[in-house]
Amino acid sequence: MTTDFFRLVYCSRNTISAGWSNPAAEIAEILAVSRANNARDGVTGALLYSDGCFAQVLEGDLDMVQRTFERIQRDTRHGDVIVLEARRAEARMFGMWDMALAEPADPTKAKAILGLALAEPNEDAGTTVVALLDGLVRREGDWANAA
Amino acid sequence: MDGFQSDADARATFATLVSDSDEHRATLTQAVLDHTALGIIGLDADRNVVLCNRSAAEMLGLTAPQLWQPVPLPRCLQESTTLDAAGKLAFEVALHTTTGFDRLFGLNVPDQTLQLILLDGRLLHVTVHQVDANHCFVTLNVQTSGEVPPERTDGLTGLSDRQWFRERLTVELTAPKKEDQVAVLLIDLDRFKAINDSHGHPVGDALLQMVAQRLRSVVRDGDLVSRLGGDEFAVTMPGVGSPEAMGVRLVDLLSRPYLIEGHVAVIGASVGIAVGPRDGADTASLVRAADLALYQAKEDGRQSVREFKQEMDTRARARHALLDDLRRALALQQFEVHYQPQTNLGSRQLVGFEALVRWRHPELGLIPPDRFIPLAEEVGLIVGIGEWVLRKACLDAMSWPGQLSVAVNVSAKQLEDPNRLPRVVEAALAASGLPAKRLEVEITESALVRYEQQALQVLHTLRAKGVRVSMDDFGTGYSSLSQLRSFPFDKLKIDRSFVRDLSNSDEAVAVIRAIAALGASLGMTTTAEGVETDAQETMVRNDGCTDMQGYLVSRPVPAENVAELIRSLTVDIPPFQESI
Repeated sequence: MTTDFFRLVYCSRNTISAGWSNPAAEIAEILAVSRANNARDGVTGALLYSDGCFAQVLEGDLDMVQRTFERIQRDTRHGDVIVLEARRAEARMFGMWDMALAEPADPTKAKAILGLALAEPNEDAGTTVVALLDGLVRREGDWANAA
Repeated sequence: MDGFQSDADARATFATLVSDSDEHRATLTQAVLDHTALGIIGLDADRNVVLCNRSAAEMLGLTAPQLWQPVPLPRCLQESTTLDAAGKLAFEVALHTTTGFDRLFGLNVPDQTLQLILLDGRLLHVTVHQVDANHCFVTLNVQTSGEVPPERTDGLTGLSDRQWFRERLTVELTAPKKEDQVAVLLIDLDRFKAINDSHGHPVGDALLQMVAQRLRSVVRDGDLVSRLGGDEFAVTMPGVGSPEAMGVRLVDLLSRPYLIEGHVAVIGASVGIAVGPRDGADTASLVRAADLALYQAKEDGRQSVREFKQEMDTRARARHALLDDLRRALALQQFEVHYQPQTNLGSRQLVGFEALVRWRHPELGLIPPDRFIPLAEEVGLIVGIGEWVLRKACLDAMSWPGQLSVAVNVSAKQLEDPNRLPRVVEAALAASGLPAKRLEVEITESALVRYEQQALQVLHTLRAKGVRVSMDDFGTGYSSLSQLRSFPFDKLKIDRSFVRDLSNSDEAVAVIRAIAALGASLGMTTTAEGVETDAQETMVRNDGCTDMQGYLVSRPVPAENVAELIRSLTVDIPPFQESI
């Protein structure tokens, strides 16, 4: 496994939630497109959507992460984009997933973490958000393995 | 029906036509002419257009004149929407030369040809054919395939360049379309320079390329995105649409973080919008309108979108006029120095005056400093004005009794050249004979922040000469405390906003107390500015300030009234009269 990965974590707000009659379907569509692109580009990661806020981890070759992030940046379905973490990483954390959907068991906690991260974006917030997504995705992974 | 295949055909036909004005033949001829791809214009000896076919009208962007209804050529050309002014002139001159020669000398002038570049960039071949002594006709031919000049692009971003932007805008403004309006959005990036400086040019260039891509991704089909230079971009929207919504979207999109070579860069954008022909009927005035709107957007703070309003133009003109007057004001001796007393809070003893510049405009009267000082700073006039005030204040102070000091404000601009101010101060002291210790220079925190190293060097030099140095408007800057560590100020002047809020803000009280305590422990004088009431005086005294300045003691007075003011202020405090 290559060890020279780049990881980027950002938070943003949904800008058109009022127009989303079916958020689950919209998220499913975002995921489908993202998975197709990421599988091609060797990018992995996880996406969390909670109460109008997105948190996403992207990891892969710097060049590919950069390209993916720039594509996401031009998506006007979200705004107030804040980068919480952008650094080289030893290894992938979400290597199993082209783009995992992290569905919080405790939505209130997830909402609080994202709210805080958007209000006070710093490295701690980045670490907390990554831990949150990691925890959620692991749980899903365990569940998937058990099934 | 293809009509004429060559100039020779046209010539032969026209020769017969001019000799026969039969109505039916004329109608038939017009029909034939209108079906030919070659543009044809017939002229009489007085350069009146007597014939113009549909192709010619289209090539020149004219409404086709009626056959045999003479219209002067200049008037016809004036209407042209495809030729620029130079093209129209060249066209007219070519015709003038042939008909003129012919009439004067009866010579057989050979056919003249010229090439004109149409506003859309295509080449127009014009050939003038002499028919007889009184008539000539012109054939027009537009080169299309392969000859269209390619869009001129900016090498870095691949966007259109400034020249192409202007040319396309001209076409949009002149093209006779149903939707004849066009919107121009001028975009200026905020903080780009800082990124370029801190991360280097390659990162700056990559950032500009990403900006270009984001702009391209958001515009409609048919909109033109251009890079006008540096970090200036433009979006041209033919048919207008909703430029303000587009502007807001552009600002949002451009302000999102960029990931470049692993660095996260955040910039902002300001947008100025003008809609033609409403805000400007020609390219230059439309771009100027958008520029004024952009100026306003930047003025209103970053991330703004502003549409051109007529009052922006009015304000710009007023500002321009004021600036013109300001440039002459020093030479015309329209400035005055007024003096506001500073007193000790404990003894109520007069300690000195602050010199304040006033501009007596011949028509507008006394102009408040906040209307001309920022303008003077912007264009650098403040250096000359500041130095004049310095010399005048030193001279005036020499006529005051005792040890009364005079405080003179120094602008950030005066620190750009670190050698200049010390030289000017020395000259002012020498010329007036004022002892250095009676002169005080006041500098704002923002000036210090802007030219930190240089400013400190200048202040140290001045202080070494014995001049006192005070920090003006203390407490309003963001780095007040760190500034205090970097230089041994003699005095802190507490910003008037704190004094104003004393009666209704516990925070203001706390800030004044803290500054007074800080000053006391560092051995600095602390002067409360803007003291207007007895209550405020009592409060700032109780809070530990040493001095005060404000309307309570006196408003600033003209130099000639200072002596009287000193007398009245000194009478009030007998115990200290002798020490002055």
